[in-house]
Amino acid sequence: MAAYDGVFDGLGLRDWCDEGKEDAPMSMAQLLAQSGGGDAAAETNGLPFPSLDVLHEACGRIGQTRDLTAGIEQGFLSIRSELKFVLDPITQPLSWMLDGTLWVFQSAPWWVMIPVLLLITWFVSRSKSVTTFVALVLLFFGFIDHYEVAMQTLAIVFVCTGLSVLLGVPIGIGMSKSDTAQRTIVPILDLLQTLPTFVYLIPLIFLFSVTESKLYGIAIILYAIVPVIRLTDLGIRLVDKDVIEAANAFGLTAWQKLSRVELPLALPNIMAGVNQTIMMSLAMVVIASLVSAPGLGVLVLRGIRNLELGVGIVAGLGIVLLAVILDRVSKAALARVDTARKEH
Amino acid sequence: MTAKVSLRGLYKIFGPNDAAMVQHVKAGMDKATLLEKHRHVLGLRDINVDMQPGEITVIMGLSGSGKSTLIRHLNRLIDPSAGEILVDGQDVMKLGQAALRDLRQKQMSMVFQKFALLPHKTVLENAQLPLSVQGADKAKCDAEGRKWLARVGLEGFEDRYPAQLSGGMQQRVGIARALTANTDIMLMDEAFSALDPLIRTDMQNLLLELQKELHKTIVFITHDLDEALKLADHLVILKDGAVVQQGEPQGILLAPSDPYIEDFVSDINRARVLRVRSVMRPVNGAECDGEVEASKNLEDMIALTGGDTNLVYKVTDRDEVVGQLDMKDLVKALVPRVSGQ
Repeated sequence: MAAYDGVFDGLGLRDWCDEGKEDAPMSMAQLLAQSGGGDAAAETNGLPFPSLDVLHEACGRIGQTRDLTAGIEQGFLSIRSELKFVLDPITQPLSWMLDGTLWVFQSAPWWVMIPVLLLITWFVSRSKSVTTFVALVLLFFGFIDHYEVAMQTLAIVFVCTGLSVLLGVPIGIGMSKSDTAQRTIVPILDLLQTLPTFVYLIPLIFLFSVTESKLYGIAIILYAIVPVIRLTDLGIRLVDKDVIEAANAFGLTAWQKLSRVELPLALPNIMAGVNQTIMMSLAMVVIASLVSAPGLGVLVLRGIRNLELGVGIVAGLGIVLLAVILDRVSKAALARVDTARKEH
Repeated sequence: MTAKVSLRGLYKIFGPNDAAMVQHVKAGMDKATLLEKHRHVLGLRDINVDMQPGEITVIMGLSGSGKSTLIRHLNRLIDPSAGEILVDGQDVMKLGQAALRDLRQKQMSMVFQKFALLPHKTVLENAQLPLSVQGADKAKCDAEGRKWLARVGLEGFEDRYPAQLSGGMQQRVGIARALTANTDIMLMDEAFSALDPLIRTDMQNLLLELQKELHKTIVFITHDLDEALKLADHLVILKDGAVVQQGEPQGILLAPSDPYIEDFVSDINRARVLRVRSVMRPVNGAECDGEVEASKNLEDMIALTGGDTNLVYKVTDRDEVVGQLDMKDLVKALVPRVSGQ
């Protein structure tokens, strides 16, 4: 006899419970109880926690916990085709952008690519030491024959960061303008930030084919977009209230206020967000290699799968080097923005 | 003379249900009761002020008296709970978004206590902000910005950033910015309060000098009575969100209407503030020992007579005799009137 039989009898629900009894497949606990009868008797003597599985023993109408997870899966699968119908065309450009950028980064010869990257570095950082450092790192990648994979990773990071900023800054602006929007979006951002990174991939794998590059693109963007949204919101909210009041007093339109006052003053915070976004998309690139993202992550994965210690460590340190140069360049850009407004 | 700006029966109550609370205040409920019973804060109560064109109207009160709230009603940075705000006879409360923006761009400019300059723009860019907002072409912005910066004594600082300037210089930029807007009305919210005393005096003189030339309608907020008396053509004294007394400053000094104001004016150096015009009597034909200008202050007179109270002077204004001054009256005027005497 199960532990909570009495409760259902007392509530007069026995008939309702017994209607569909014995149809359900046997649970692992029941199976164990059958095979090792003595243990099961000992368990039912105490007062087990009234969990779904325990209640199910007393009343067949109550589902087991495995029904809950199966329900979620069923629910997702039932809306899958509709979801795919909507999301597929919307996200298709992401695949094109990723494939296109990967193609450019891979097919451009190194003697074109490296100077171009160094020019970009110089343009955003205006710092000789940072540019020299980036040059050394890129040449080092070439020297140890990791140039191609590093370029693949860099291409993915560029596209995903670019899109994160493009989407994240407007969302952040919207959040800063409305407290309701902020209250709604902050829990979503918290969720995106704390959800284990692998969990992003599960529903995406159901939705898109693993060979499509947008699959990892979406996973990276979802993970990396959070800081740029948060810091745009924060930056605009932190703009000096007196300056905003002056802008109102001189009759600036909402757009003028945003473009001339709020965004420029929030820029240091937004740049800090972009820096974090770059770092997070780089972190996600490794996990994304599980779903066919090319680059250094693939080598790390190979290191784990085949226990090739050297390959894994070199690729891992390569990611660290990439992170360092991306961090230095974006920090230098941030510092430049910061000093442009103050003393020269 | 019709008023440039008029406030009619203006009430401001802070809280979610302010319009309904106006009834309680009109029925005579005071600030403490309103806060205790209804959790609303009384900001302004029944303000009626006329601000004449070309005059400096000074609104004075201690902190918490509602003066900064009041000035923000004029360009509707704060909306009133009840009442009318008339600018050139037009009710500002009836303006739509676009019209209100137009009013802020073309009719009223503002100078702030904490300067509120854009830290990422140069001094010149800050000064030309009102024009560039209106979409004026670059050459005009530039010329106007430079002109007014030079006028407030900041020639050569155009390409600096605000953080590189001292407080007094930053506020000069603030004033240049307000002047570039070329508006009839200038709102100055404790514009000199953040500056140290010597620079404050400089800035007051600069303002008076500019006003002599430009004849703008200036609304000036301050908590400093000396500053108020120096600048005001029309003085409004606020206490707990209501007007206690308003009028010509010398009149308020000589005839305070209420113990609160008596208290206020008792610490003032009356000899420096009061002018001959305020203490003279009509001419009665008595023998005179000389002629003096009506605009001289009493300190000058005491210095002139060497302390002799038996003298009588003829008072002139632009070479016309307007009255006579008995030095005995002058000495009496130096003693503050205390109610009950």
